[in-house]
Amino acid sequence: MDAMVCLRAASAYSSPRLALKSPTATSILHASKRPAFLCIRNVAAIEIGQEMSSRNDSPKVLLKVEGLTAVVAGTDTEILRGMNLTIREGEVHAIMGKNGSGKSTFSKVLVGHPDYEVTGGTAVFKGEDLFEKEPEERSHAGLFMSFQSPVEVPGVSNMDFLRMSCNARRAAQGLPELGPLEFYGFLSPKLSALNMSPTFLDRNVNEGFSGGEKKRNEILQLAVLEADLAILDEIDSGLDVDALRDVANAVNGLRKSTNAVLMITHYQRLLDYIKPTFVHIMEKGQIVKTGDALLAKQLEAGGYEALSAGS
Amino acid sequence: MAAASIATSSLQVSCSTIAAESKLLPRRGFCLFAPGKSISLPPTLATSSLGSIIGMQRHPNLQISIYIDVKIHGSARKNFWVKNSATAAEISSSKQQNVPSFGPDDFVFDLAEKLEELDYVSALSATGKEALSHLREHSAETTLSLQWPTNKVEAYRFTDLRFLRNSNVEPVRQCPQDTGIELADFGIRSNADIHLVFADGVISSSSSNWKDGVFVGSIAALSDDHIEEFVIKKLGKSAEWINTDFFASLNGIGVRELGVVIVPEGVKMQSPLHIIYHSSEGGSKDGEKQSYALSCPRLLVLVGKEAEVTIIEEFVGEKGEFYWSNAVGEFFIEEHGRICHNYVQNQAREAVHIKQTCVAQKQCSSYELVEAAIGSKLNRHNIHIQQLGPDTSTKMSSFLLAGQRQLQDLHSRLILSHPRGFARQLHKCIVMHSSGHGVFDGNVKVNRYAQQTDAGQLSRSLLLAPRATVSVKPNLQIIADDVKCSHGAAISDLEEEQIFYFQARGIDPQTARSTLVFSFGAEILQQFKNKNLQQRAEKTVMEFLQSEGAIKTSIQEA
Repeated sequence: MDAMVCLRAASAYSSPRLALKSPTATSILHASKRPAFLCIRNVAAIEIGQEMSSRNDSPKVLLKVEGLTAVVAGTDTEILRGMNLTIREGEVHAIMGKNGSGKSTFSKVLVGHPDYEVTGGTAVFKGEDLFEKEPEERSHAGLFMSFQSPVEVPGVSNMDFLRMSCNARRAAQGLPELGPLEFYGFLSPKLSALNMSPTFLDRNVNEGFSGGEKKRNEILQLAVLEADLAILDEIDSGLDVDALRDVANAVNGLRKSTNAVLMITHYQRLLDYIKPTFVHIMEKGQIVKTGDALLAKQLEAGGYEALSAGS
Repeated sequence: MAAASIATSSLQVSCSTIAAESKLLPRRGFCLFAPGKSISLPPTLATSSLGSIIGMQRHPNLQISIYIDVKIHGSARKNFWVKNSATAAEISSSKQQNVPSFGPDDFVFDLAEKLEELDYVSALSATGKEALSHLREHSAETTLSLQWPTNKVEAYRFTDLRFLRNSNVEPVRQCPQDTGIELADFGIRSNADIHLVFADGVISSSSSNWKDGVFVGSIAALSDDHIEEFVIKKLGKSAEWINTDFFASLNGIGVRELGVVIVPEGVKMQSPLHIIYHSSEGGSKDGEKQSYALSCPRLLVLVGKEAEVTIIEEFVGEKGEFYWSNAVGEFFIEEHGRICHNYVQNQAREAVHIKQTCVAQKQCSSYELVEAAIGSKLNRHNIHIQQLGPDTSTKMSSFLLAGQRQLQDLHSRLILSHPRGFARQLHKCIVMHSSGHGVFDGNVKVNRYAQQTDAGQLSRSLLLAPRATVSVKPNLQIIADDVKCSHGAAISDLEEEQIFYFQARGIDPQTARSTLVFSFGAEILQQFKNKNLQQRAEKTVMEFLQSEGAIKTSIQEA
């Protein structure tokens, strides 16, 4: 790929929104006009990323996944077939794709779900090899995944669970544990940000929660853990309009220039609330297209058929 | 009866963990025994049964769940046919127990004689003595027609009582006036907290007998009129079953005093009524055979129309003593009445605890049992609940914890005979040692006129050590044709999905496991109405789990 294509490709990412977020990138690339439709392989994005980072102080890379392959544990069923993805601080990535394309598997592999086995490739999170770490260590390092359908834990109150997980992270960071009262003080603003009532804390973890309550609870955990990279696996599924807005607003409220979000979704609607910097299309365990929010709009209009026809 | 068809669904699972076995089943998920296609039966008495006996060997880390769900709803009659060798034995199980013996059982004869010699408490009036002697005579007759239950009897198949038969059993004769227990330890701070204390089967102290029209105390404190009006009419009459059960009859012979609770019509008691059963005397320690000191406390609870009460029953005893507490509780609930029954069995580890709970529920009444069985070497709880009118509600939640050389056995029988009954049962059992054993037989019988019954039953067991064993048999007998009934059993290790959820939130797997093991039981303990009781039960369970190494010692109570 020559430099010209790289430059054109990069300009495709430089939406005005990105320009606000990373002025350094736009100042060089001068994205005055955007091609109507441009798609590139994700490899190109990485190349651009490397090129850009070598030239200036662009945001730090949070997560870098290269050539990741994974199978269902104990079988030969390959789900991921060479995933490549780089996420920098301050970015919002969205992965879309048909059912069974490996989106959820990708997120589960990143957090170390025992159902999957990594067979090749690397994932570097904040400069450290992710696959060397246990799931809880990945969480301590600042990686968070919201579960698509979080499991119910009868007998454990939400409050205790949140405090345990918060204190586990604090212990890993060498900070003192928070007592029940201190923790409540820490928690209540986060609760109100999600429009959640404090009675929520007395209930058992996810037990008897509605779909919306479960998703809110996941975001509450994200808020408590103050993760650097939040992987949100279909947080829009099963939510009504109001709940979606609450959840999206809470996620937006948690965004900082030093953290990032990776969303997995089927619908454009979520992307209206949480604006993506990049949209990736997954197919058969790989990212086959990368673009900006426009890509999701095209997808919404024409379906996956239209995209593959266009490529 | 002749025109009805019976759909009997029973699931019998005997499961033990044995280390280092090959993977029998997928790591997670339910193993389903799918019911066969529905077959309509000819309108004759026919039985069908769903279920099988399953013997399994599994790795402790594997999770095996067995679930059977039977739903019969709408007017269509469905019966499930699955090949089952144990059908006949299971259906007739309740009858077998009462088969008359072919000759006198010397051990039983001897024991009955010793019990008959016991005097009534001195304060008892003539009417009171008459009420109890009637029970004694009847029980003596029954006992002598029954044999000591052995494992050849279905109801005691997994409950080995031979050690008890091979020991000396001596009834407690001298009952201490002072139990030496601190009432404050049980959350009873003053005489205003209504309570009743049994010491070795005889009432040793209580709060004032009459309060706001409610009577709590010994039969000795009741007037003759009240005894005639309440006790004589009701004692031993909660169900026919109570007069045919071996241990209930044994209790009937050995009864020396009766604890009575009368909640009159319309009285809704706000504070709970606390009953403590304390055993202090153990069997003599010299002699070749082990000796057990037998006590037979008995309780009669009468709840009037639209009356409500929460009853806490706690069984405790002196550590290190060998005693046998053979208790019976009878509960009568009138129309629209309500009992919340919280029951904690925390006997000494060498003790034998056998208890019968018999409930008679009239129309629109509600009975809710929350039970925690933690102590004793052998625990057997028989629950017998009978509906006497439509629209009743029955809930049972039980948690049994079996450690080293402990047997925790729960047999429940719920008989629904009237329309629109509601029933829920949740049985949870943790076996944390290879020599521990959990037994559960939960029977729900839906009779012909019990249409629109909604009955659900679930048994969940957690095996934490190789060779830890549970034997569970949730079972339904359905004659009515318009009902919604389900039952299921899961025997497993902890769910990996739950452990991963904790890990994904930064909590290490050991802490996650410990928390989940504790919460397995806490789900039931949380249902105790009294916070003090809940906290004490949680503390006891936590300490026991820690002492057996089932959970980390650093885990703090939530």
